Amino acid sequence: MALDRYEWLGRLANRLPEDCLVMSTYIGAVSFEWAHHTEEHHRTAHLGQMGDVIGMAVGLALALPHRRIVCLDGDGSVLMELGQLVAMGEQQPDNLVVFVVDNGVYESIGWSRQGRRPTATAGHVNLAAIAAGCGVPYTVDVTAEDELDAEIELAFSRNVCSFINVRTRPGHSHVRPRRTDGIEDKYRFVRYVERLEGIWITGVPPQDIALMKDRKG
Amino acid sequence: MAMTDAALDAAHEGLRAAGIDFVSGLPDGWQRPLHERVELDPDIRYVPVCNEGVGFSICAGAWLGGKKPALIMENSGLRVASEYIARISLGTGVPVTLLCSYRGDVGETEHWGIPHGIVAEPLLDALRIKYLIVRHVEDLAKSIVRAKRISEAQLHPAAVLVSGDCVWED
Repeated sequence: MALDRYEWLGRLANRLPEDCLVMSTYIGAVSFEWAHHTEEHHRTAHLGQMGDVIGMAVGLALALPHRRIVCLDGDGSVLMELGQLVAMGEQQPDNLVVFVVDNGVYESIGWSRQGRRPTATAGHVNLAAIAAGCGVPYTVDVTAEDELDAEIELAFSRNVCSFINVRTRPGHSHVRPRRTDGIEDKYRFVRYVERLEGIWITGVPPQDIALMKDRKG
Repeated sequence: MAMTDAALDAAHEGLRAAGIDFVSGLPDGWQRPLHERVELDPDIRYVPVCNEGVGFSICAGAWLGGKKPALIMENSGLRVASEYIARISLGTGVPVTLLCSYRGDVGETEHWGIPHGIVAEPLLDALRIKYLIVRHVEDLAKSIVRAKRISEAQLHPAAVLVSGDCVWED
């Protein structure tokens, strides 16, 4: 029995640790519904695209090892670049939890009377098993709501690099598309991280401004 | 054949001088010693990958977390990474310094390197990536510093293509 995407993303949003950061997809139903549930909180980077979401989350997790990083991806995106799972399994950042909306179809491209175009997970492919084979320490293939609740609880109560694949029913996005582009999304997230971490990511760092003043005499 | 010891020292010095503290990459014959050197540098987090596209994604994520990343690879890896460079950097403006072996440059001895040389510069142009070609060891360190500097200024990758005296002692 697969889960409803909007409903389970809402469950996850309600249990999200206050001080975590999220790497999410950029466009598509996952991003739109997640943004709706979280009121576009700037802790989420809506920056990942087909084949790079988990890779970016791994980089973020390694850059901020003290910070919980949550990743939201879709099955089509994971399938496009399985090498991301190799990197995740090799690095095993214990602050990273990946949730995959696995609905077995390419939802965002639309569909005809013949139905939706299936991804490989509608056939024989099991992403959780691939992640396990890549060395990700904890992997699970979730198919029921109570199971998902338990996995969310577990994921946020310990520090283990985790890959949680959630079998999800195909279906329209319940909400309207987000309005922002990648540039605005980036600045929102970067400024939030700067404030949260007390670091400088873009622009001239304070110490360099002081140096420039010194040079001017 | 690998980069010369002098080029190895210069590349490492350039990365450090540029403030690079996060490196991902896929080793190739020329820059293998640099991967080995960087991996041992306590000030640089080194993340090996099995393809350059994943390496670029990881570097981009690290930048969003405050790191100063570089991706070290053969220029053939530019083709692999180009999908993610386009999506991430052309789409959102994320800087990563690219340090590439310039296989197929004038002087190449291997037939398989020729296609890499044909594609590299047009591909960098297509991706709007400014680049420096380094054929003299004494230019290598400062070229890395300058590439990183403009990548941060324009919030887009910049590249250094390594060739010439950095690898050949003829």
